[in-house]
Amino acid sequence: MAREGYQDRLTELRGDVVTMASIVLDQYEAAVEVLDSGDPAEAQRVIGDDQVLNDWYLDIESDCVELIALQQPVATDLRFIASSFKIVTDLERVGDLATNLARYGRDAGAEPLSPVEVGPIATEAGAMVEDAMDAYATEDPDAAREVAARDDDLDDQCRAASEAVVRELLTTTDPGMGMDMDPGDVESTLAGVSHALLTIRDLERVGDHAVNICARTLYMVENDDALIY
Amino acid sequence: MSNTDNSLIEFGVTGSETEQTPETGTLTEDTQSIISTRGLDVWYGDDHALQDVDMDIPKNRVTAIIGPSGCGKSTFLRCLNRMNDMVETARIEGEVRFNGTNVYDDDVDAIALRRQIGMVFQHPNPFPKSIYDNVAYGLRVQDKPVNDEIIETALRRAALWDEVEGQLDKSARDLSGGQQQRLCIARAIAVDPDVVLMDEPASALDPVATSKIEDLIEELAEEYTVVIVTHNMQQAARISDKTAVFLTGGKLAEFDDTQKIFENPESQRVEDYITGKFG
Repeated sequence: MAREGYQDRLTELRGDVVTMASIVLDQYEAAVEVLDSGDPAEAQRVIGDDQVLNDWYLDIESDCVELIALQQPVATDLRFIASSFKIVTDLERVGDLATNLARYGRDAGAEPLSPVEVGPIATEAGAMVEDAMDAYATEDPDAAREVAARDDDLDDQCRAASEAVVRELLTTTDPGMGMDMDPGDVESTLAGVSHALLTIRDLERVGDHAVNICARTLYMVENDDALIY
Repeated sequence: MSNTDNSLIEFGVTGSETEQTPETGTLTEDTQSIISTRGLDVWYGDDHALQDVDMDIPKNRVTAIIGPSGCGKSTFLRCLNRMNDMVETARIEGEVRFNGTNVYDDDVDAIALRRQIGMVFQHPNPFPKSIYDNVAYGLRVQDKPVNDEIIETALRRAALWDEVEGQLDKSARDLSGGQQQRLCIARAIAVDPDVVLMDEPASALDPVATSKIEDLIEELAEEYTVVIVTHNMQQAARISDKTAVFLTGGKLAEFDDTQKIFENPESQRVEDYITGKFG
């Protein structure tokens, strides 16, 4: 095998992306627990540790640029580096969304965010990211397509959950549209609804990032850019 | 072999519009080919240097030929304008059709062929004459008129005019290596060929001179067909529309759009070669 040092760098890059993904998933799972517990200390830890992910992101991005500049990769190598370069951006965004979720959970405290149980949605969105990264790590195009196909169902669940939140709001405030409510209760209700809708939106975005990872994986493995464009 | 006027004049037949597949190197899109090879084999003595090469070279495009040392890429290039005729041990079978006519037909004049399919070599080889006389050389050999306008046009097309204007009496040998190479290109295009063959034209040049040659090649493709052999894969990727990959044994492994070759080649052996896993 020629260019062994270069091949070692590619192997290293793949390992770094997978490691970053495992940190992202740890952060995400912790944030989902905060949604349930409202634990402010854990929320703060998640938010603070996001810097670790940002550092991983910048390091991997720098490695990709260096490989492109110095090694002039082509064919499979080029697609692998280009895909990894894009995938770490998606992972970094999932990390950002995890900090959002931690904040929503912290601000809501021990009170439930909404009448909607977002746990299954959160679990599925996280599982999609995990499975997408497995497809990347094992270069499995069928697995990537299977994960991407699950996004429609996740979107449906998110839409139904958002509608349930709004329906609950209308039920709570009807018939006086909140005019006869205690001002403190109004603020509390609005904050709860707002957090609930933002939570659902961010979980749906986590699923979108999983699809992006699948799209880049398919391009990497099969030069299939159908999911990208 | 005849040396009559009827030979190359009849090359005015339009090229074939055929389909290309990566395996054979023929065209799939509606691209007009100017040179087509079919079943091309070359031997140097017992050495089988090229094996059964089918390739359609598109008109007014840059076609790059890459491959490891000894793969036959320069041999292929030299077949296109019969430069291999000068190699005593060379034996050639198969066809090289230029605008439809097999250049190896008995009635084809090789000298006339080389006026229509010019060549630029690895090392700049200007004649020990003035810049003006170098450019005028091919025209004078053909008894064609030479005037300042023709010389200026050739030098402009070769992106050299701005650097030599007012000093055309200067010896060509006083130019830098990059300038000498562009002068050789000017000399080649002064006789208005259809095709310019280039055998590693920038390999002896520094990066700045190389980039000027590369810019020039892209511009030349607006009026000429360029076929370039290069060891520099990045150069092939930068400047060519089509890339042919020859691997060991003188076989054409793949011929396709350059982006396809460098992003997703069909052949695993080509993939291994361009990613540096062998060769």
